[in-house]
Amino acid sequence: MTPRRWWLAALAVAGVAWILGGEWVSIHHGVRENHLIDALGGLAFLAGGIIALDRRPGNTIGPLMIAFGLIGYLGNWGNLNVPVLPLLGVSIGQWAGAPILAQIALSYPTGRLRTTFDRVVVGLIYAAAISVIVVILLVFDPRSAGCPACAWEPAPFPSGSAFLAVTSGFQRAGAALVLLFLLAVWRRFRRATPAERWDLASLWVAVCVIALIYLLGAFASPSPLADPFAYLIWELQSLLQISLPVIFVWGLLSARLARSAVGDLVVELGRSLPPGELQASLSRTLRDPSLELLYALEGQERWVNARGQPESLPGPGAGHQARTVTVVERDGRPLAALIHDPALDQGLVRAAAAAAGMAIENERLHAEVRAQLEEVRASRQRIVEAGDRERRRVERNLHDGAQQRLATLALSLAMIRDRAGAGPAVAASLAQASAELRQAIDELRELARGIHPAILSEEGLPAAVESLADRSSLPVRVVADFDARLPEPVETAAYFVVSESLANVAKYARASRAQVELSRCNGTLRVEVRDDGIGGADPGRGSGLLGLADRVAAVRGSFRVDTSPGGGTRVLAEIPCDA
Amino acid sequence: MQAAQENAIIWAMPFSVLIVDDHPGFRAQARALLTAAGYEVVGEAADGESGVRVARDLSPDLMLLDVQLPDITGFEVVRRVHSEPDPPAVVLISSRDASDYGSRIGRSGARGFIPKAELSASALRAVLEGSRP
Repeated sequence: MTPRRWWLAALAVAGVAWILGGEWVSIHHGVRENHLIDALGGLAFLAGGIIALDRRPGNTIGPLMIAFGLIGYLGNWGNLNVPVLPLLGVSIGQWAGAPILAQIALSYPTGRLRTTFDRVVVGLIYAAAISVIVVILLVFDPRSAGCPACAWEPAPFPSGSAFLAVTSGFQRAGAALVLLFLLAVWRRFRRATPAERWDLASLWVAVCVIALIYLLGAFASPSPLADPFAYLIWELQSLLQISLPVIFVWGLLSARLARSAVGDLVVELGRSLPPGELQASLSRTLRDPSLELLYALEGQERWVNARGQPESLPGPGAGHQARTVTVVERDGRPLAALIHDPALDQGLVRAAAAAAGMAIENERLHAEVRAQLEEVRASRQRIVEAGDRERRRVERNLHDGAQQRLATLALSLAMIRDRAGAGPAVAASLAQASAELRQAIDELRELARGIHPAILSEEGLPAAVESLADRSSLPVRVVADFDARLPEPVETAAYFVVSESLANVAKYARASRAQVELSRCNGTLRVEVRDDGIGGADPGRGSGLLGLADRVAAVRGSFRVDTSPGGGTRVLAEIPCDA
Repeated sequence: MQAAQENAIIWAMPFSVLIVDDHPGFRAQARALLTAAGYEVVGEAADGESGVRVARDLSPDLMLLDVQLPDITGFEVVRRVHSEPDPPAVVLISSRDASDYGSRIGRSGARGFIPKAELSASALRAVLEGSRP
């Protein structure tokens, strides 16, 4: 055992002796009270204070608890018929406890008063207690307090009525101080971060108990032994006070309990954890619902979440937004970053991160793979969009160049043909040339439309699909529940799904009719093409349906082909369209 | 019988035309074709803004208007021209097909649409007669 522990043990023995001795004096002098409750209250504070002093040596909460536990016994020892003790009992013994308790509550759990308001409130309570102690020291008359034969001199200005007036007056003024104390606690609650609120849960309970005790005390008689109601409250106070040291010690040791939660985390991580669950586990372990876990990409100064989406580390922030970033490293390389409440114990955060080291490494690898997949998907989307831009450019060039020249040429031929003087042979040749030219223009127009449909850019998806249906070789019914414009990549992908599907129906399905349904629901565009043909379409064969699946995947959509021999074919694409 | 006579009288009159198209070769051919058919081509414009301005200055009976213009679309030109008093009849033309524009042609307020390669006096007359109220 260390010398420090010897000292603590000695303090414990002396404290127990002081408390039990005081209780013996009360019993010996026939004081009417529940001695067991009284003794338990004192012993609980003494034990709590010694435990706190042992576990948190630099914290003032321990000494304050011990002081509170011992000081009340001045009153018990005051029953001895020796000078000074009765006076100290009715003054310090009875009045010094309240400010100590207020200081414990407002400085909990660090032992330091944080704000000026807190210091002012505690200062006021101390000032009030000291004032009443001084007045009692001046006016207390032991004879009026039921001890006419006391063998010691009374205070300089003994007055039983003055003593009663002062003590009952101060007791009622105490109610205002209790409210001020509650205000300080409320301000602290409002400023606290979610993790702090959790850590201070025991304080909120303790505060309610303290406030209840003193509000009750404020309306009871200052001479509890003479008044049955006051006596009841007095015993109730003693009973409630037993719970306070338990609450305080529990709170002070909660970090230690949280360390055992790190042990639970290790056990939890022993089982296979679903991807992305590590953040929730750490959040539970550290009791910080706002905790976020980001992963470093190898060789890059970038961070991603468990889904592989890019994220950035937050700034320090302030108030509720205050965040602390704890970077987890391995061999000097950043592995992950825990973004958490600044109130969390850094040592505990590091302990949890160390316990989850292997899981963090695994999740980081998962996140990196997801980030790479996301990059591949984004790259595919960029390639498709670049291809679509190129298609539009080629269509525009055809329209502005070859199609214009051919149209002009058609006019020229028509004029030459209409001019008088041409022989029948020339007229026939001109008519032939005009027909060929008309054919070429039609084919070029169809080609341009296949490269990029102008109507899609001009009128949007439903109109473009109607136009496809009009040109189809079989009857096609179009049902669309919207006519609003959608993002261009979505419209283009959906258009080509319909266009390619209808082309397949016309070529292979031997269908009598087809139906196209376009609908929007919950930010998703649903495109469905159905036919009543022979079925048997195979998405794995040929590049048409595969190309469509790729195109739809590039815009984060899903693509499915349902088909059965003789049962027709159904092509379904669902594409997110909120972006 | 009386209506047919009225038509004959109308089409016998010189019919002033403004051609709005950004391709000079096409404008030249269209001018030649319309002039040969008895129309009076009173002006040409190479873009939408100048088309609106020239239409206001010359008050033609007919505006032959390309849908794709370098500055504003033919549909926008129709809207602006129709906001002026006594607007000309507008016939839209394009090297694309009418189906490439969906219902916009019908909603534009133009008398009709002719693919450029099919432009002729008879096609023009058919559009104007067909759309006559």
